[in-house]
Amino acid sequence: MKIRIVPPEPEIEYSEDYYEWMARAMGEEKAAWARLPREEREKELTWYHENFNTPDDLAVWPPELDGGKYNP
Amino acid sequence: MPVSTPLEFLKIFAGQLQQAEIPFAITSGMACVHYGLQQITKDSDWIIPAEDLGRLRELFTRLEGDLPPWRISYRQICGAPLEAEFMAHGWTSHLSVWDSAGSVEHKVDIFSKPPRVRSEELQMDAEGWASRHIVAQMKRTDRDKDWPIVHGLGQQLSEHQRPEGLLHLAELNALLAAWKAATQQEREQMTARRPLLRMLADRSEIDPLYFERRILLERLIWERVNEQRHTRYTRPWRRFYRSWRQELDWEWPSSEAFTAQHQRLLGAARGYGLPPDPLADTPKEALVETAVAAVCQVAAAAKQEVAEVLPPVYELLP
Repeated sequence: MKIRIVPPEPEIEYSEDYYEWMARAMGEEKAAWARLPREEREKELTWYHENFNTPDDLAVWPPELDGGKYNP
Repeated sequence: MPVSTPLEFLKIFAGQLQQAEIPFAITSGMACVHYGLQQITKDSDWIIPAEDLGRLRELFTRLEGDLPPWRISYRQICGAPLEAEFMAHGWTSHLSVWDSAGSVEHKVDIFSKPPRVRSEELQMDAEGWASRHIVAQMKRTDRDKDWPIVHGLGQQLSEHQRPEGLLHLAELNALLAAWKAATQQEREQMTARRPLLRMLADRSEIDPLYFERRILLERLIWERVNEQRHTRYTRPWRRFYRSWRQELDWEWPSSEAFTAQHQRLLGAARGYGLPPDPLADTPKEALVETAVAAVCQVAAAAKQEVAEVLPPVYELLP
């Protein structure tokens, strides 16, 4: 098996339809987060990781249920 | 020494793999964060070809000897040894990695034959991110929360003018727009992979409820095929694990170095008959047929109706 390396897709601004779908399917807050540039989104995720014992992909939101990092 | 966050660890581990010239693609949750479709995750999922797993184990041995030393351990969930004889056939290996003494536990899952992904389509960009299409294929699970992500990746692909968007979109208007933008050749190629698209060509007006039912049937097919495939791995793993844990003074995961853990797990897997290829004795067509029968029953659908949206076997179980 070979993994083919391809050039990265250019960053594009998605249509309003895309963000409207996201707000409908995932909520306004997530749609607003998705509009942020990638660096900002990563900064926000790092903040969560530093301040909460955030759940992994299989766990249930909200992270508070899993205990805060400094408040286990 | 500062503790690495999951995102920092991702970059550190990717750097180690690059230095060791081990090919990889980052997929699943972290890739969805990267593509702006999932806000939170801390585990990471990596596709690493089976033929490179020996070098990955060597890297782990070296990192455990580094200063400060890393610690790498298997986790106690359904998975196989990080060995080509198992991993080339669709098993996953689940590890915990600590990249320093005070590090948090980083959960690392490794695939060599990711589910639903055709090997010829395996692509990543220069930073190591699996393509949107690959991530979308892997997200066709039986978890409700994964399906909006599949559609979202489809939307993004379409906005990047990629015909694969047609394989993943689940809303009528978005599909019609993508269909309109595709060339005739792309339409034919994508319809061969996703028969549901035929209705876009055949009908001038589509009843939204008719469309919704077909989308539901199609999703049920993916879910039930996934269930059929997945249980072929979990059942023998449970049998293997129950037998193995009868050993005297059994403890897993042990506190040994990774190489010793690996030898112990590999010996147990071979000794207690964990099948390297759990799908070897079952024709893929038979798995799909069982899944289709379940869909017909659950959705009260005629076999013909399900057949209209049934993707080819090579698409469901490549």
